[in-house]
Amino acid sequence: MLTLSNVTKKFGELVAVNNLSFTVEDGQIFGIAGPNGAGKSTVYNLITGFYPYEGKITFDGRDISGLPPHRISQLGIARTFQVPHTFPSLSVAENVAVGNRFGDPGRYDPDYVREVISFVGLDAQLGHPTAQLNLLGKKKLMIAAALATRPRLLMLDEPMAGSNATEIRQLMDLIVAINRDRGITIIIIEHFMRVLTELTEKLLIIETGTEIAFGDPEVVTSDPRVCEIYLGEQSAESN
Amino acid sequence: MSFKRMATIMGGTFGLVAAAPLFVGDIRFIMHILIMCLIWAVVASCWDLIMGFAGIFSFGQVAFFAIGAYSSAIFSVNLGVPAVLAMLLAGLFTALIGVLVGLPCLKLAGPYVALVTFGVHMTLMPLLRGKIGMALGSGGSVGILTIPPIRIFGYSFSSANLVPTFYFALLLAMACTAVILVVIKSHWGTAFLALKDSEDFAMSLGVSAFKYKLMVFALTSFLTGVIGAFYGHYIGMISTRMLELDLFCTLMVMVVVGGIGMFPGTILGAFITVIANELLAPLGTYRAMVMGALVVILVLLLPNGVMGFWLKPAEAEAPAA
Ligand SMILES: Nc1ncnc2c1ncn2[C@@H]1O[C@H](COP(=O)(O)OP(=O)(O)OP(=O)(O)O)[C@@H](O)[C@H]1O
Ligand SMILES: [Mg+2]
Repeated sequence: MLTLSNVTKKFGELVAVNNLSFTVEDGQIFGIAGPNGAGKSTVYNLITGFYPYEGKITFDGRDISGLPPHRISQLGIARTFQVPHTFPSLSVAENVAVGNRFGDPGRYDPDYVREVISFVGLDAQLGHPTAQLNLLGKKKLMIAAALATRPRLLMLDEPMAGSNATEIRQLMDLIVAINRDRGITIIIIEHFMRVLTELTEKLLIIETGTEIAFGDPEVVTSDPRVCEIYLGEQSAESN
Repeated sequence: MSFKRMATIMGGTFGLVAAAPLFVGDIRFIMHILIMCLIWAVVASCWDLIMGFAGIFSFGQVAFFAIGAYSSAIFSVNLGVPAVLAMLLAGLFTALIGVLVGLPCLKLAGPYVALVTFGVHMTLMPLLRGKIGMALGSGGSVGILTIPPIRIFGYSFSSANLVPTFYFALLLAMACTAVILVVIKSHWGTAFLALKDSEDFAMSLGVSAFKYKLMVFALTSFLTGVIGAFYGHYIGMISTRMLELDLFCTLMVMVVVGGIGMFPGTILGAFITVIANELLAPLGTYRAMVMGALVVILVLLLPNGVMGFWLKPAEAEAPAA
């Protein structure tokens, strides 16, 4: 469904993504992990057209390199951001409606907007300003707005960060439901290995923009090089 | 604020203003001030649309006003185009300039947009006064002194018959601000607010920053150009004096008084500011100082401008909702 071929991104001297290639299959939950600054979010920014890059990215066989972000969204790739983004000038329902109206042009449907909002569990906040949402609420809002574009691929950037165990469970169930019930392919960037091994079918580990390991999560997580990178982060995972 | 409440405030304001000639119709000075209020109401509202709603810090509003006034005057004086048609052409020409100014602004952060757009303002005066301006028919430092009034079916709307001209200005201001109201409440307005709040989030949801930012430049410069053109035909003469800083500052006061992103507050802001300016006239050179102090006090006490009085507490926390 999505293929990156020899994608490289340099910010001046810094090589943030280094000759990276991978393929996400239709229907998969695909994980990406790596230490801070590895280039994970940058990979998302390249796929969604926020920066120019070298190499090629195709979506459903179509070359999407060089397309602007709004076109890529309209083609069916949605994403969330690591730091929650919302539109504070608009209500929760209006935030989500933006995704439906502009991400799926010509097929605006208020009922669908309401359906996605209740799917992520924000019905009670429908008319509230987004300033009244807590961190989890803002993350759900980003997911709802992304779903409102009727994507076929949803890319989540560290959705669990800053959440407690109960919230992580909730979000994991939500992600599974998006994948199984709505039939949406998912890429997830995550630091929590436990989340990745439970959710993903394929796991890609990158460091300084370069692929370190790729394959089944169980196999990848027992790779000695991956263990080395994650030595420091294992303890963080337990809290 | 809901469409209904915005429309009510606008309808109420324009309704009251429409009745003014019944009481002060034969006081020329007051009729003139009311016409000027209507003109500035449109310019200030356009500024609020691009700055308050779309979040683009364009400081080219007065420049667009002058471009509209000059181009319409040149079309009608030099090319003999009828005033009404010249106004429309001037609006389109100003919109074109607006888009050209908007293009380099697309990738720039707020403060740089302010610099670029104000740069347009700064270059306009020497351009109009210099050889290029003279060649185009700007009249150099003298200006254009013989702009024909608007004439419809042989009836002319000029400063000679102020009451009909006032109603012409009222209709024009109502039409322009109605367009702004409809745009704000349409999905264009939603796109403007979304791009202002978070450009990245908006683009990731399918909003074209390119398209909507250029649209807001085109629309606000079109309306500003048309009303600038009307100003020229009404007054009958224009000069580069309108590009001096005092008009620019007065306009900024109108937007602040009305509340940034608080349309239709700017309409009230225009009336309050113009009238306050006249009432403060006896202060002479201290007038600017008092106006300046009023702005500082207003910004601190009434961040939403006069619209603060109309807002429900919940809305006050989310400006421009
Ligand atoms: N717009 C940018 N300009 C310059 N450098 C950037 C930019 N965006 C990212 N970088 C750099 O690229 C590298 C990769 O950053 P990125 O945000 O992709 O890492 P990440 O893997 O998502 O890290 P984290 O786990 O902290 O989110 C970092 O060194 C970062 O400083
Ligand atoms: Mg990141």
